[in-house]
Amino acid sequence: MNERLLFPCGRIARRKFLFQAGVGFVGTAMGALWAEEGKLLNPESARAAHFSPRAKSVILLYMCGGVSHIDTFDPKDNKLAGTMIDAVGFGDNMAEMKRPVIPCHRTFTRHGQSGTPVSDWFPHIGGVIDDIAVVRSMHCRETNHFPAVIEMSTGHRDRLLEHPSLGSWVTHALGATNRNLPAFVSIGRPSSPVQLSGGYLGASVSATPFQQGDVPIRNLHPPKSISSAERERQIQTLDVLNRDFREEYAVHSAIAARTRSYELAGRMQLSAPEVVDFTSEPDSVKRLYGVGQKETDDFGKQLLLARRLVERGVRCIQICHAGGGNGAWDAHDDMKTHAPLCLQTDKPIAGLIRDLKQRGLLQSTLIVWTSEFGRTPWSQNTTGRDHNPKGFTSWLAGAGIKGGAVHGSTDEFGYRAVENRHYISDLQATILQQLGLNPEKMEVEIEGRPVRLVEKNAEPIWPIIG
Amino acid sequence: MLTGLIACFLSAALLAKEVPTKEALWSLKPLSSPAIADAGAASGNPIDAFIAQAARERGVTLLGLADKLTWLRRVSYDLVGLPPTPQEQEEFLKDDSSGAYLKVADRLLESEQHGARYGRHWLDVLRYADIDEHMPAAPGIHLWRDWVINALNRDLPYDEFVRAQISGNRAARRRIVSAAGHLTDVEPRPEDLFALGFLSRGAAIRADTDQQLAISAVETISTAFLGLTTGCAKCHDHFYDPISQVQFYSMKALFDPLVLRQIELATPAQVFERGRAVDDYESRLKVLVDAMRKFIEPYHKRLYEERLSDLPPEAQAAIRKPEKERTVAEQKVADDYHPILRIDPSKIKTLMPQAEIKQYDSYLKEIAALKQPDPPPVFWTVEEDSKRAVAKSYVLTTGDASRPDLKQEVKPGFPLAPKSLSFHAGRRETFVDWLTSSDNPLFARVAVNRIWQWHFASGLHESTSDFGVLGGKPTHPQLLDWLAGEFIKNRYSMRWLHRLIVTSETYRRASTGPKALVLANLQADPKNQSLWSFPLKRLEAEPLRDAALHVAASLDLGVGGKSFDEGKATEMPARRTMYMARGYRSFADVMPDFLQTFDADDGRVACPRRTQTVTAPQALFFMNSRLIDEASARFAERLRTSSVGDLNELVRLGYSTALGRPPKAEERVAVLNFLQGDPERVKGFAWMLLNLDEFLYVR
Repeated sequence: MNERLLFPCGRIARRKFLFQAGVGFVGTAMGALWAEEGKLLNPESARAAHFSPRAKSVILLYMCGGVSHIDTFDPKDNKLAGTMIDAVGFGDNMAEMKRPVIPCHRTFTRHGQSGTPVSDWFPHIGGVIDDIAVVRSMHCRETNHFPAVIEMSTGHRDRLLEHPSLGSWVTHALGATNRNLPAFVSIGRPSSPVQLSGGYLGASVSATPFQQGDVPIRNLHPPKSISSAERERQIQTLDVLNRDFREEYAVHSAIAARTRSYELAGRMQLSAPEVVDFTSEPDSVKRLYGVGQKETDDFGKQLLLARRLVERGVRCIQICHAGGGNGAWDAHDDMKTHAPLCLQTDKPIAGLIRDLKQRGLLQSTLIVWTSEFGRTPWSQNTTGRDHNPKGFTSWLAGAGIKGGAVHGSTDEFGYRAVENRHYISDLQATILQQLGLNPEKMEVEIEGRPVRLVEKNAEPIWPIIG
Repeated sequence: MLTGLIACFLSAALLAKEVPTKEALWSLKPLSSPAIADAGAASGNPIDAFIAQAARERGVTLLGLADKLTWLRRVSYDLVGLPPTPQEQEEFLKDDSSGAYLKVADRLLESEQHGARYGRHWLDVLRYADIDEHMPAAPGIHLWRDWVINALNRDLPYDEFVRAQISGNRAARRRIVSAAGHLTDVEPRPEDLFALGFLSRGAAIRADTDQQLAISAVETISTAFLGLTTGCAKCHDHFYDPISQVQFYSMKALFDPLVLRQIELATPAQVFERGRAVDDYESRLKVLVDAMRKFIEPYHKRLYEERLSDLPPEAQAAIRKPEKERTVAEQKVADDYHPILRIDPSKIKTLMPQAEIKQYDSYLKEIAALKQPDPPPVFWTVEEDSKRAVAKSYVLTTGDASRPDLKQEVKPGFPLAPKSLSFHAGRRETFVDWLTSSDNPLFARVAVNRIWQWHFASGLHESTSDFGVLGGKPTHPQLLDWLAGEFIKNRYSMRWLHRLIVTSETYRRASTGPKALVLANLQADPKNQSLWSFPLKRLEAEPLRDAALHVAASLDLGVGGKSFDEGKATEMPARRTMYMARGYRSFADVMPDFLQTFDADDGRVACPRRTQTVTAPQALFFMNSRLIDEASARFAERLRTSSVGDLNELVRLGYSTALGRPPKAEERVAVLNFLQGDPERVKGFAWMLLNLDEFLYVR
C-alpha cells in the first residue's frame, strides 16, 4: 500500500519519512520541528545535507508590498523620464497600454571596493555592500501581491495542493539542531499565512511565529494564577498518573511522542524567553542594529533576535517587514512612501551583517533580501510606481556568496529583466545549494506525482557563488 | 490560472511495478455476495465472522473484548463526540440485559449531537469551508452544514443524501400520477434547497468565469462518492486511472449549465423594512455627494485641464471629442490615457487652501460615516441557466477556463456510463440516477468503507477516496462487499450500518492485551490490518475541545446556526467546535490556531482522512492556554459542589467524568496525596485530568 495516497488532502503523514529513514515506529510520530535529532530520526539518512553546506542558517528578509529596484539597487538614466512606453497592467487589468516613465529622485553612490551603486535611501547597506551580491534580473509571474507572495514563498502558483513554504522544505530536509527551539521561526507580520505553512509536508515543519515581547511563543507560560512550585507538583503527579497508560500503550509511537512533546514544551518554557531577553547584549551591539532609536527600534530588535536564533542553531528565520494587507512597500501613489521604510530597515540590516561578521557567523549564515516583485518605471498618473513582476532586484550575503558582485540587468527603463534572467526558482535553488541541498533531490510524491520546491530547469545562480 | 499545470510524471518506481489495468480493477467489478463464514461468529454479527476468518488466515489471535466502560467511552466519542456522563456509565453498568449495548447505540444515534459529530466527518470529505478567498457562497453556507447535520439526524438514506446535494431534490421519482391520471412534477422539499450549498460552495468568483463551480463539483463528487481521484485528468490521461481527460470534462459538462443565484431568506416584513432603510440611505448619500462634487468641481476641472494639456496634441483632440464621435483608434487613445486623467482626492487637496481641505475632509468623513443597511440573510444556490444549457463544452487546456481546446468538444457524460444514455430527464438528474443506482459498483462500496474508517480509524480499503489502480486493495474484500450489499438492502440507512458496526465484537475488542500476545500479533500484522486489537485513536480537534468544555459543564449543545469566530471560543458556555468558523484566505490567517494545532484542515480541498501530529504546541495548549485554565477552574468547581467535602468521592467523580472510569486504588492515593486536603488544589487535579494522555486518546 502506498502511504502517500492515504492523506490526499495535501498533507503527508510525517511517518512516511520516518519509515523511509528506517525508524520503525508504529503509528504517527512527532515531526521534525519538535523532534530531537538522533532520538526520533536517523541523522545519517533523512536529515543529513546532500553535500557539505556553506550555510548553517538562512535569514530571509521579505520586504512586503514590492520594493522599487529602480530607486534602490538598479539605477536608471533620468533622460528617459516622460517617455511613453508600452506597458501591461497588473492584477485584474492585464491590458496593454501606454504609460509615462517617471523620474527617479534618488542619488546613487558607488560604495566599497566593488563600487556597487546604492541609492541614498540605503547608506548603511551601502557601507556593507562588499559583502552583498546584487541580482538585478529577477522575475516572477504573478502580478498581484498575494499570488506573488505565494509564488515567492512556495515556488508554486496553483492551489491544487497546499504547497509548503521554503522554510518548511528546509526544515523537512534538515531537521532541527537545537533540541529546545523550533527549526523554522517567523518574525514580524507576514503578508500571507502561506508564508508559514508546512502544507503537505505537515504541521510539524511549519514556521513557529515568534511574537514581539517577553512571551515569544503562544501558550508558553502557565497562567499567572499558578506558582511554578505548584505547577511542578502538578507535572510530577501527572507523570505518575500517566504511567500505567503509557506502559500499556508503549508500542504506539504517538504515546512515546507525547511524553517527549511535554518534555520539549517544558524545555521551551525555559529556553525561549532567554532568546528574546536582550539584557546581556552590550549597548554597542544594540546601537549597531538601531535598537533604542525611534525609527529602527522595532526592526532592529527583530534582526537582533534573528542573530540570537542563528547562534542557537535555528535553521531558517523568516522576517517580514511591513506586512499585513498589501504590504507598506506598495508605493502606487508616491515613491516618497518608501523613505520611512528604507529608514526603518537600512541600519538594522547593515547592523546584522556587521554583527554576524564580527562574530565569524557571516560565513555560515545566508541572508536573502527580496520582495514579491519590483516596481515599474512608469506610473498611472501619480508619482508612484506599479507592480513589476517582469524585472526586479534581490540580494544575498554571507555563506559563500560573492560579496560586491552585481549580476544580471534590466532594460534601459528598468522594466524587464534582460540579461541573465532568473526566475524565483533560481533564487530558491541558490538558497538550497548553500544549505548543502541538491534542489533536484528536494522532491516528494503527492497524489502520485513528484512535487518539488523549484521548477524543473532551475539552477543556482552560480556566478554569485564563491 | 495555472491550476493543474504541475507536471504529472510517472516515476520510475511506478513504471517498474506491476500496475493492474482498468479492466482488472477490483473496485469496478460488480458487488459479490460472499457467504458468511460460519466459525467464530458466536456473536451472530457477520462482521465478526469475516474478521475472524481473515485473522485465522493471517495467523493472528484476536484480543478479548474490552470492558463495558471502555466500550461506552469509545462509542460515545465515536457517535456523538462527547464523553459519557457518570450517570450514563452507572446505568449501562447496571443493565445486564442482552440488548444493553444496542440500547446505548440507539440512544446515541438518536441524539441530535450525532449529526454534529458525523456531519463534521462528512464536511471534511465534501470540502466545507466558511471562508475560501472570495467564495461568493460564504454568506449562508452554514445552512448547507446544518442541512447535513439534519439529514444525518433524520437518517436520510445515503442515496438521497447524495442525490439532494447534487440535484437539489432527494426524491428519485420526478412525476406522480394521480388517481385521475394527472401527471404532476415532484417538487423538492423546501429544506433541500440548502443541500445545494454543496455545489455553490465550489464557485470561486461570482460570475464563475473560471468555471470553478463545475470543476470543483467533478473533483469532489469523484473523490467523495466514487472514490476516484481526478486531479491529473484535468490536464491529461493516465493509463492507470479509470477517469480520462475527456471523461473529466464530460462530467464537468453535467454542471456547465449551472450559475449561482442568491436567495433572500427574509420575511415580507423584513423585506419592506430593508427597502425603507435603503431609500433613506440613498437619499442622504445623494445630498452629501452632490454638495461635495459642487465644492471640488473647480479644482477637478483645473487639474484635468492641466493634465490634458500635457498630452500630445492628437491625443488631446481625441479625448476632447464626445465619446460617441470618436473613431475606434481615438477611443483606444482615450482609454490608454484614462488612468492618467483620473483625479484622486489626494491630488485635489494639493491645490486647496487649508480651510477648504478641512471642509473637503468633513464631506468625505460624513460620507464614510453613512452606513449601508445590513444585507438581509441570504443563501447562495445554483440553478440552470438557459443560455449555458445550450452552450457547447470543451476540454480546457490545463484546466484553464480561458483556454478551451476547440478541437475537443465534449458531451455530457461520465465514466462507466451505460452505452445508450439519454439526458432527457436533465443532466444532473440522469447522472445522479446512475451514481446512486445499485449498478454502480463504487457507490455503496465507497460509502460503507468511509463509515468504517470513521469507526476504526482506517478503512477496509485504506485509501478511502482512491479506489483506482494506485489505491491498492482492500484488506477484507469480502466483508467490504457484504457490507455494501447489505447497505443497499437496508435502504442505505447509515444508522443501520453504525448500529451493526458498534455492536459487533470487532468494535468491542480491547485495544491492548497480554504482552506476549500483543508482540506475537505485531510480528504477524504490525499495522493491525486484521483488527486483532481495537486501534488506539487520538481525538480530533473538535471532540477534544468539546470534551474539555463538556466535563466543565460549559458546553452549549445547541445545534446549527452561524459559525462563530475563534476569538469568542473562551466565552462560556461555548458552542461545539464544529461550528467554529474555518477556511482559508491567501492574505490573512483565518484558520483558527486551535484547529491548525490539532490537525484540522481548512476545507480548500476534500480531506478524507486527517493527519495526526504530536507536537509541543499541542502540549503547550493543554498546559497553559486560557481555555484549559478556564475549563479546569469550572471543572474543579463542579467537582467540589457535587462531592460536598468527600475527597474520595471527588476523585471518583473526576475520573468518571473525564475518563469514563473510576480511579484505580493507586491513582486515588496519588491524587489524594497531591490534594493534601486543600480545596484550592482541586483545580490542579482537574488540570491533570485534562492533560492525561488517556483524556486525549480513545482506547
